[in-house]
Amino acid sequence: MEAAVFIVVLVIALALFFDFTNGFHDTANAMATPIATGALKPKVAVLLAAVLNLVGAFLSTEVSKTISHGMIREDGIDPAAFLPIIFAGLIGAITWNMLTWLLGLPSSSSHALFGGLIGATLVGASVLAIDFGVVLSKVVLPALIAPFTAGVIAFAATKVAYGVTRRYDNKPDGRDGFRWGQILTSSLVALAHGTNDAQKTMGVITLALITAGFQDASHSDPQFWVIFACAFTIALGTYMGGWRIIRTLGKGLTDVKPAQGFSAESSTAATILASSFFGFALSTTQVASGSVIGSGLGRRGSKVRWRTVGRIAIGWLLTLPAAAAVGALAALIVVWLGPVWGVTVGAILALAIILGIFWRSRKSAVHAGNAMSEVADSGHAVKVKRNPPPTRRQRAIMREQARLKAEQEAREKAERKAKAKADAKKAADEKRAADKIKADAAKASKKAAEKKRAEEKVKAKGSAGKGKGKGKGTGKKDASKKADEARAGADSHTGEAQHGAKKKGAGK
Amino acid sequence: MSVSIDWLAFFEVFVAALAGAVLVVGFYALGLRMLVRAGRAPVVAPAEFTDAITVITEKEAKRAAKAAAKAARKSPLTEGQKTLALVAAVAAFTVSGLAVLGGLLLIVIH
Repeated sequence: MEAAVFIVVLVIALALFFDFTNGFHDTANAMATPIATGALKPKVAVLLAAVLNLVGAFLSTEVSKTISHGMIREDGIDPAAFLPIIFAGLIGAITWNMLTWLLGLPSSSSHALFGGLIGATLVGASVLAIDFGVVLSKVVLPALIAPFTAGVIAFAATKVAYGVTRRYDNKPDGRDGFRWGQILTSSLVALAHGTNDAQKTMGVITLALITAGFQDASHSDPQFWVIFACAFTIALGTYMGGWRIIRTLGKGLTDVKPAQGFSAESSTAATILASSFFGFALSTTQVASGSVIGSGLGRRGSKVRWRTVGRIAIGWLLTLPAAAAVGALAALIVVWLGPVWGVTVGAILALAIILGIFWRSRKSAVHAGNAMSEVADSGHAVKVKRNPPPTRRQRAIMREQARLKAEQEAREKAERKAKAKADAKKAADEKRAADKIKADAAKASKKAAEKKRAEEKVKAKGSAGKGKGKGKGTGKKDASKKADEARAGADSHTGEAQHGAKKKGAGK
Repeated sequence: MSVSIDWLAFFEVFVAALAGAVLVVGFYALGLRMLVRAGRAPVVAPAEFTDAITVITEKEAKRAAKAAAKAARKSPLTEGQKTLALVAAVAAFTVSGLAVLGGLLLIVIH
C-alpha cells in the first residue's frame, strides 16, 4: 500500500509537470494571431491566456472522462502493475514534449500523452488492455478530422468576414476593427484550450486515483482538488513558457490580417469547444494550424505551399508513435526492474532528461522581446498575393467602367472626324473662291492687253502712214518700244489683280 | 474486439462549430460595416509588438484615420440615418457576443 501511495504521489507530480509543459508548449498558440497582427502586446496576451486557461479548466470534464474511463480497460489490469505503467506513459509524453519543445519541432502535447500511455500499456500490460474503439473514435479520428474541419470553418468564416466588410467605393472598410475582435476570439481560444487540454491531465490523475483505489470507479469525474491543481498548473505553465512558442509564430504569421486572424481564432475556438462538449480530446496546435491555413485560403489570390503542409503533417503523424516508443521504453524499465525500483530509476532518468533539456534551453533564453510560436509553419503553408485578383463584383464594375470609357472615346473620335471633314470642306470652298478670283483677274488682264495691243496696232498704222519718209528703222523702233510698254503695263495690272485676290483670300 | 465509431458526433461537432463561427464572425463583421456606415470607421493602431512582427506603422494608422475622417465628412447620410446605423452596429456586436455566451453556457450547463 505504501508503495502504491508513493507511486500515486509520483504519478500526480509527473502529471502536473506534464500539465505545466503542456501550458509551456501549446497554450501560447491561442495568442499567436493577436500578437502577430498587433492586437495585443505579447505580455498582456500571455497573461490573459494563463487566466483564461485557469477558468476554462473548470468549465467541462468530458475530455477527462474519455481518458480516465475509456481509452484503457483498467479493470482487466492488476492495479499494482498499472500505476507504474501510467507513470511510464507520462515519462514518455513529457520526454517527447520537452524534446520537441527544445528543437522547435511541430508536435502535439495531447498526442504525446496518448502515445505515451498507449505505448506503456502495450508493453506493461497487453494489447487487450487498450480499447482501440475509444482510441480510434475519440483520439485518432478527431486528430485527423479536426484540423481539416477547422480549416473548412476558418475558410468559410474568412470569406464571410471579407465579404461583409468589402467596399467598392474606396471608402474605409473598417477591417481594422477586427483587431478589437481578436482580443475576444483569442481569449476564447485560451478558454477552449483550458476546457480540453487541462482535462487530459485531470483524466490521468483520476485514472491513477481509481487504479489505486482512492476513487470509486463508477464515479469517473475528477475531484475538485484535481481540477484546481491542473487548472492552476496549466495556467502557470502558460505564463512561464509562452515566449518560446510565440517566437516562431512572429516570423510565420506576418501576413495574417486582423480579419483573417479573427476568423481563424473563431474557428479554432468553436471547433475545440464543440469537441470538448462531446469529449473529443483534440490537439489545440493542430486545430489552430488548420484554422490558420484555412483562413489563408479564404483570402483572394492565395496558394497552398504543399511542401510546408506536408512537413507539418509528418511532424504530427510522428508524435503519437514516437511518444508511444518512449513510453514503451520507460515501461520496459519498470517491468524489468519491478514497480518500485523501476519507478525510482524511471523518475531519476526523467528528471535527468528534463534538467538536461532545461539547461540546454537556457542557452537561448526566450523573453517578450524575441518571442515567437510554432503555428508559424501554418502561416508559411499558404502564400497570399500582395495584390489579389478582383472579385466578381469588382470585375463587373471594371467592365462597366471600360465600356463607358470606350463609349466616350468613340464619341470623341466621331466628333473629331466630323470637325475635320467640316474644316476640309471649308478650305476647299476658299480655294475654289481664290482660284475663281485669280482666273477672273487673268482674264481681265488678257483683255486689257489685247485692247492695248489693238490700240497700238491702230496707232502704229496711223504713224506709219504719216512718217513714211522719215525712215523705216526709227518708226519700227518706236512701235516695238510702245508695244513693250503696253505689255509691261498689262503685266503690272495682272500682278496687282493677283495680289488683290491673294489678300482677299487671306482675309477670309 | 468491436470498434464502434459515432460518426454523427463528428457531424454534429462540424455543424455546431461552423454555425457558431460563422454567426460570431458574420455579426461582428456586420457590426463593423454598420459602424463605418455611421461615419465612425474604427482605426485601431497595433499594440506594441516584437521586432519579428511587421503589421502597420503608426504613420499608416494615422493616414487611415485621416481617410476615415474624410470619408465621414463626405457621408451623405442624415444624422438620423447615422444614428440608425450606429444602433444596428451595436445590435450586431451584441448578437455576436450573445452567440459566444450562448455557446459557453451550453457547455457549462451540460
